Amino acid sequence: MPALEALLDRFYAAHTQPLGVSVDSAPCHANWGASLGGVSFPLLADFHPKGAVADSYGVYLGDKGLADRATIVVDAGGVVRYAKSVTPAGKRDMAELAAVCEDIDAVYGEPLPAREPGPGVGAGASLFVKSSCGFSRAALLARDNLHLESTLPARNVTDDAGALATLRELAGKEQAPCLIRPNGEPLLESKDIIAALAVAAAPIE
Amino acid sequence: MIDIGASAPAFELGDHFGRRVSLAQFRGRRHVMLLFYPLDFTPT
Repeated sequence: MPALEALLDRFYAAHTQPLGVSVDSAPCHANWGASLGGVSFPLLADFHPKGAVADSYGVYLGDKGLADRATIVVDAGGVVRYAKSVTPAGKRDMAELAAVCEDIDAVYGEPLPAREPGPGVGAGASLFVKSSCGFSRAALLARDNLHLESTLPARNVTDDAGALATLRELAGKEQAPCLIRPNGEPLLESKDIIAALAVAAAPIE
Repeated sequence: MIDIGASAPAFELGDHFGRRVSLAQFRGRRHVMLLFYPLDFTPT
């Protein structure tokens, strides 16, 4: 996935949205993506019913309970244009796949809209978190997956009285996680924070 | 594995940012590259 993350601009220029899919859950995806240095494109949880989407594309290995390592490209008209397995132990060549998508895009009959990148979180935003808090952890994982470490500073209010006082002042209460937007507006629920960060940094169509 | 030229099966799944993502939402706007893989935290 890091190899793909590094080539995302080529896929986006070819009007192609990459989607990772495994039987893991969404929280597992978030932790894994962050451990890889950040995965900003969607990692989909084919979790319940387990492997149903992989099965519908004929790439579910039922005896193992896992998806094959297989790549399928669907054009914007909904037609399968590429399908290849490298076997579970194999390795994909992301540069080759970028070329595949560029070729598919080149022969696709209709013009597709250019990608609109997100506006970013803006200078002056900050993320308040606390220790031993699953919601704070989820917000931090999203920040890392979206490569916002340098633009969205995190302040842990558990060990920092000054940060806690600032949070109380800006949010009106001592609740974390809390995203303070550049205009000073607080956003208090982890689900809302993560959704806002994704819209700002890596929107999908 | 699904055949080249086949109509892609519809799906809607959750992603790691809490979004619902469907194949249908990309219709007429984007090609979609599905990268199936066995498990998180294993080599890619």
